[in-house]
Amino acid sequence: MSGDAANLALPLSGLSGGACEASTLYRELRKPLLRYLVCLGLSSDEAQDVVQDAFLTLHRHLASGGSQENIRGWLFRVAHNRARNCQNRYDRHFREPGEADLDAPSHEATPERAVLEKEKFQQLRNALRLLSEPERECLLLRAGGLRYREIGEVLGIATSTVGDTVDRAVKKLAEKCNV
Amino acid sequence: MCELSGKLIAWLDGELPADEAAGVEQHMEGCAGCRSAIESYKQVSCELNAYCDEAIAASSTDCRMPRWIPVASAAGAVAALLMLFLAWPPAVRKRHAISFPPPVVATGAIGGTRVVAAPPAAPIREAHRRHSTAAEAKKSPVAVQTAQPVRDEVTDILAEEPVIRIAIPADEMFPPGAVPEGIRFAADLTIAADGSAERLRLRPRLAGFERRTTQP
Repeated sequence: MSGDAANLALPLSGLSGGACEASTLYRELRKPLLRYLVCLGLSSDEAQDVVQDAFLTLHRHLASGGSQENIRGWLFRVAHNRARNCQNRYDRHFREPGEADLDAPSHEATPERAVLEKEKFQQLRNALRLLSEPERECLLLRAGGLRYREIGEVLGIATSTVGDTVDRAVKKLAEKCNV
Repeated sequence: MCELSGKLIAWLDGELPADEAAGVEQHMEGCAGCRSAIESYKQVSCELNAYCDEAIAASSTDCRMPRWIPVASAAGAVAALLMLFLAWPPAVRKRHAISFPPPVVATGAIGGTRVVAAPPAAPIREAHRRHSTAAEAKKSPVAVQTAQPVRDEVTDILAEEPVIRIAIPADEMFPPGAVPEGIRFAADLTIAADGSAERLRLRPRLAGFERRTTQP
């Protein structure tokens, strides 16, 4: 399903009170959500389904007068849980982030630069693979622009634990990537 | 290893309280090791961001490739409908064709019955031709009044009753949760004479309403 802005604009535009806010949230958060889910290991179609599902849940949440505090963290939590449900439903682990996707060099890059980028991404991918699941999720949520408090809400852990986990994960990555 | 090395990444992310952040900044002014560590953490964070951007870009590229699948599916469905239409017994088609009463050219209302101008007439059997012109309609208005409702009734029945009905569950057409619970869609597909899809109309239906109509 690849769902699209036009499709999602319909249910969101049906909101009376939080219509503008929901549309703004959709424009702002759709890409970070997709990026997080794809890096988590979902396929593009799966990620789009999860994102659409998350925004529909947001629509119902706002329409029923739900809390509007920290909607960004709320959306990421819904998407994260949906992604985990997909994983459990299909009884499989997601492929490693970017596996096979990053093999094709970008069209704009020169051949030399493409090779260097490919090696760098390969190194980063291997380093990510060595991280524990909470470390990887914390890093990816941090890359999505979430604050530590929001990451804690998404993953259901304390903010101080997020700080320690991010610190450990970044240092591991820097060490493995020889940065 | 500095005692503040555990706070560098939190400082980089702007997660430290103001007083602690000020302490880290003051410390870094005199600590080359921490400044170097901060640079490497910045670099690895940028590389991770680039990696994520590339992953979503590559994923989108992969997603674009199989776009032909829905197009091919639609073409296949139209071809299947065309084959069904062509394989329909000619006798049945002919019976339907000759069951139409003659077209009425006059417009306006006669005896409370709305008379609609008909399209250019196809060959019509002799038995139905006697009421086919306005002149003859004037001669026998009663006959027109009785004949016209028959025409409307027949065409209405044929128009409302699809020859071919294909049921596609909403779950197959829409992602989970896209259609509110209790809402179903019926699609009317009109096939032109050349076999091409002429019109597709989606009509929402209430599931509860359908259930009530089927009960005795």
